Amino acid sequence: MIFTAEERRQMPVVPTEPLRKSGDGDGPGKPDVKRPDTSDLLKRMRRVDPDAARRYRQRSGQ
Amino acid sequence: MDRLVGIETEYGIIVDGRGPNDWIHESIAVVQSYSGPSVRGWNYRGEDPRRDMRGFTVQHLATNPDDAQFDTPAMSREEERTDRVLANGARLYNDHGHPEYATPECRSLRDLVAHDRAGERIVLAAAQRHAAHTGRAVTLYKNNTDFHGASYGTHEGYLMRREVAPETIIQTLLPFFVTRQIFAGAGKVGVENDGSTRNVDYQISQRADFFTVEASVDTLHNRPIVNTRDEPHATPSRYRRLHVICGDANMSEYATALKVGTTCLVLALMEAGWKAPVRLADPVRAVRQVSRDLTLQQKLDCFGGQSLTAIEIQRLYQQAALQELRGRDEDTDWTLTEWAATLDALEHDPLTLSDSLDWVAKYCLLNTFRQEEGLDWKAPHLQSLDLTYHSVDPEQGLYYGLEQAGVMRRLVTEGRIQAAMSCPPADTRAFIRGLFVERFGQAVRSIGWNGILFEYHGENLLFDMNPLVEANVSLLNEELAAAETLDEFVAVIQRKPEQD
Repeated sequence: MIFTAEERRQMPVVPTEPLRKSGDGDGPGKPDVKRPDTSDLLKRMRRVDPDAARRYRQRSGQ
Repeated sequence: MDRLVGIETEYGIIVDGRGPNDWIHESIAVVQSYSGPSVRGWNYRGEDPRRDMRGFTVQHLATNPDDAQFDTPAMSREEERTDRVLANGARLYNDHGHPEYATPECRSLRDLVAHDRAGERIVLAAAQRHAAHTGRAVTLYKNNTDFHGASYGTHEGYLMRREVAPETIIQTLLPFFVTRQIFAGAGKVGVENDGSTRNVDYQISQRADFFTVEASVDTLHNRPIVNTRDEPHATPSRYRRLHVICGDANMSEYATALKVGTTCLVLALMEAGWKAPVRLADPVRAVRQVSRDLTLQQKLDCFGGQSLTAIEIQRLYQQAALQELRGRDEDTDWTLTEWAATLDALEHDPLTLSDSLDWVAKYCLLNTFRQEEGLDWKAPHLQSLDLTYHSVDPEQGLYYGLEQAGVMRRLVTEGRIQAAMSCPPADTRAFIRGLFVERFGQAVRSIGWNGILFEYHGENLLFDMNPLVEANVSLLNEELAAAETLDEFVAVIQRKPEQD
């Protein structure tokens, strides 16, 4: 037995949440780049095994 | 957006003490380690990757001969895929030795970005659980290359009207896809599949080295710029699902949104009868040419003697979209604004986009490190840093490090990403899939993009969700969300329109 939604009423389009919203702090925005703390990032980069990519082998995917 | 969209990501995998011969088993184990609510039994109804939108079906799909060196265990498709359908409406499975996460169908850019990023968290949690069980560390990468000639995909799916002719789709998308990488590329150290040791230190795209034909149904080998697979996952007489395989895996939320938003607008233009005003003389060559030109100044040869830069070609599309589509909805206007701003910035100073685009962020990060450490671009360490940029482990990944330093532009909050790990979009049919997994998983016999087969009072029933793709289904979803029993759920989906 098959139920189909073929004949269902076309639902009115409800406006989706806009990409840009003001006032809720959830919208896109430029990051604060005045004083980014990148010292941890440089430490993280120095910890990367220099040979990691040389050993990295994957199966061919799609 | 006025269409359903989704992103499927095949993750790169490494496991301590294991190698490529083990990746299928390890990827299966990662999928099986997912601990949230899920159901098994993917419904393959309507799926045939050999079917071409141009009206024929190929006998065989091309396979990569280099991949034949690795073991492929004898097991059924179901055993190998190990499909899991999650409560957020997503699909998690093993694809050719890669854990793959396919987002639920989304209708807004922010939902899609949140679900794409939720996928990172979901596969990471599964990998950590697998690692805890075996004692072997597992690392997953959201990238597209192993730097040795093997590529794996990040595919986009877009529902579109079937009336648009395949030849229009191919000819309109070729110049757009060839040049879209200038903002959608994820960046790569070095070059692959070139047949020579060309001096390419850094290029814009991860995938550009892997396209050898303009259009075809193949995905594993002889990859096309425009994939012509015909699997609508909706009513076939009315819809196509454009299956885009030429894109990179983006870590940047902004790049993901711009990549998908601009593509949606080009599809809307085609549906309105618009066709590309330019035709590249050699799109396959141009893909690599654009990827390797960090100046963005090189001209691409077009038919008719014209030659244009990638930015100029993108402006032709952006201007047409601005003229035809402005004011259509919030996502459209955001995309139009950011598309223009991005092209302006790429023209004047691409490095100003280091907070937005992956290829620029990665370039700046690696170049700074390279200069501080006195390294050449050919140093193995640089490719290893490239790889680590894409690690989905927040304590290890370099993109995550940039995000933690507050220097990347964000489109969604962490709370929204966390919510997307368990909650489907409220305005698409994915909500019904997720609801079924959450509440009635025991009854599921098989489940897929366009239908749910379930047991109901001793009978197998198929709920056909093909028609639920065009209109916003929020109200139907609200009704179904109130159904606490399977009887109540069935009562809602059986109700005829006049009873609503």
